[in-house]
Amino acid sequence: MYCVNLEFTDEEIAFRDMVRAWMKENVSDDLRRVTARGDMTSKEQQQRWEKCLGEKGWLALTWPEQYGGPGWTATQRYIFDLERAMAGAPPTSPFGVSMVGPVIYTFGSEAQKQRWLPGIVKGDTLWCQGYSEPNAGSDLASLKTRAERKDDHYLVNGQKIWTTQAHWADMIFCLVRTDSTVKQQQGISFLLIDMKTPGIEVRPIYTIDGHHHLNEVYFSDVQVPLENLVGTEGMGWTIAKFLLTHERTTIAGVADSHHAMARLKEALHAAPRFAVPAQARRRIAELEIELMALEYTNFRTVAATDEGRPFGPESSGLKIKGTELQQKLSQTMVELGGLMSLVWDSEEPVGSDQFNNSPRRYNFLRASTIYGGSNEIQKNVLAKMLLGL
Amino acid sequence: MDFKLSENTTMIADTAKRYLKDQYSFDIYRSVLAQTNHLESSRWEMMQELGWFGLPFSEAVGGYGGDLIDVAMIVSEMGASLCLDPYVDMVVAPGKLLESVDSEPARQLLASIIDGKSAVACGFYDIHSGYDALSPSLVIEGNRLSGQKSFVPNGGFAQSVLVTARRGKELALVHVRLSDCEVNNHRALDGSRMSSIVFDDVMLDDDAIIACGAEAESAATQTLAWLQALDCARMYGAARALYEKTLDYAKTRKQFAVHIGSFQVIQHYLVDMFIDLQQLESMLLMVSIKAASGDAAERDRACAAAKAYFADKAVRIAQQAIQIHGGVGVTEELDVGHYFRLITHCSLSHGAGDIQVERFAALSEAAHG
Repeated sequence: MYCVNLEFTDEEIAFRDMVRAWMKENVSDDLRRVTARGDMTSKEQQQRWEKCLGEKGWLALTWPEQYGGPGWTATQRYIFDLERAMAGAPPTSPFGVSMVGPVIYTFGSEAQKQRWLPGIVKGDTLWCQGYSEPNAGSDLASLKTRAERKDDHYLVNGQKIWTTQAHWADMIFCLVRTDSTVKQQQGISFLLIDMKTPGIEVRPIYTIDGHHHLNEVYFSDVQVPLENLVGTEGMGWTIAKFLLTHERTTIAGVADSHHAMARLKEALHAAPRFAVPAQARRRIAELEIELMALEYTNFRTVAATDEGRPFGPESSGLKIKGTELQQKLSQTMVELGGLMSLVWDSEEPVGSDQFNNSPRRYNFLRASTIYGGSNEIQKNVLAKMLLGL
Repeated sequence: MDFKLSENTTMIADTAKRYLKDQYSFDIYRSVLAQTNHLESSRWEMMQELGWFGLPFSEAVGGYGGDLIDVAMIVSEMGASLCLDPYVDMVVAPGKLLESVDSEPARQLLASIIDGKSAVACGFYDIHSGYDALSPSLVIEGNRLSGQKSFVPNGGFAQSVLVTARRGKELALVHVRLSDCEVNNHRALDGSRMSSIVFDDVMLDDDAIIACGAEAESAATQTLAWLQALDCARMYGAARALYEKTLDYAKTRKQFAVHIGSFQVIQHYLVDMFIDLQQLESMLLMVSIKAASGDAAERDRACAAAKAYFADKAVRIAQQAIQIHGGVGVTEELDVGHYFRLITHCSLSHGAGDIQVERFAALSEAAHG
């Protein structure tokens, strides 16, 4: 018989049912309403949800058990993510759990692990990511924020930009230049900085979705203890590259796209048939087929992870295909809404408030093909690999 | 979940690859293309000896009990080497139609196909009914058959044909000698041989009607699901070959004193092809399992989705392969354009992309209630 098996095992189905039941109990109505509208959670909502998961031990899903991970397989994590999304809960913030956490337990000292990991596992500490700068976007290695080594601290000066949730965060992890005499990539280090340190200023950037989630962060003579350096000086670029390949099984956003697809289909069926152009039905079917292709490609990466195999080439396109699909889903929702999608901020829903809010998500998701390495940069990286450049 | 092919399936795929490498080439393909009879008996016999003829069928009917995914791996390699031997159309298709029919004539005919002794084509479509194989315009009245079939792949050497026909309100599956019909042979888009067949009041033998009603419908729908999955397999093999050839070309072809692969626009085209190829592979694995499912709704959904996706993305890969090759890509002497025709051919057979999207939407809406 063949080994390709597209079914979950009995144990996995029992696990799914257990997660589903827990979500039913623990995802509050206000969270459900927010995600049903495709809206964004407030800081209070996001923290409440992450603490709830942290309390249960279900926040740092990919972490080794010794640091507080649940010890799940990649398949279980995939099931969990799908149940989470379909229950109407928001995705968790990636900066602590998916980014700095794995960096600390992989490259950090024992003291750093003890100091920072528990706060992330419990959802108590909020982190943000200080990578991009005004003149170092896609060309990240050209970053200029300096960290000079003094007797007992680093003195940090410079500016970071596009910093998601910097105005919420307790901590920021930064790529900083500690040596400008060597090759660009080799002079970069990885620093953990307390956002309450004097000399840090956060300025909001308002985005076209009408929300405030992005910021500029300014550093003026900010003193950072030497023990906040992760790894050694000059290791920053290696760490940043490690993060790019660390976790591939949820990068495609399959779970949240399933949620978006479910909402789209509900809206389609709620509308009187004469009001829906044939082309809209068709487009939704096409998107559902694309979602299927993405999902099975994602399954291959999940299965490889569980079998202890390295990711195959199938994982390379997950971010590109995943974000393109998110954009198409949100655009289709806006188009399906028609006139109702023109309503930006009415207190009372005008028609369906899911449509009233749809342009916000559509506007927000324009960023998805830009953040985390724009899709064009992803293609450059992949082309190098394919062509052996 | 598990996405590793079994050792057995991998072995079948490797054997197919080796066999085709040894026995087939672009030159052989082109010589076959020029012939009206595609029976090359030594190769046909070798395929039979490799066990391919029995592979798709259960041991209960004298087959070797392989799975659709095993057959898909063979067909994918055939696509990768442009092989025109009508294995799918004249072994898998008629055999699958017969496999589920519980009668002595069906058993005997299937056994002779597995033994390589019968050359049987299958006629599902005609110009009036289009893709609707279950509502053919061919009609049985009494013991006579009237009407026509078109688009019948016959390798140029079929002796008989299995056709879908209407008998009253029922669907029937009928086996007819081609010598009793008027046959017009022609070349098809991919270079294979096809025929249009006119049945002018053909007198049927006593055992000509193989199955009727629900049994005939079930045999036809299950067979078509296999054929749709195998269309995808053939397109996948061809698309993979095209991607590899195009990547090689980008590394070697120089313009402006540099390899064209050094241009970012070409790099991004290649990456798009590569990513789509990975997604196609996922869809092929998916449909190779689900098209053989006993759950009709799951099977049809999988087939519609895969066929629609291949018709979009595999065709796009083929178009881009030509674009990156430039002028030489549209010449008859380079294999690239031949792969392009093969992919276009498979995207149209057994339900074109648009039809499949419609079908998927209807299935999806039916499931939603």
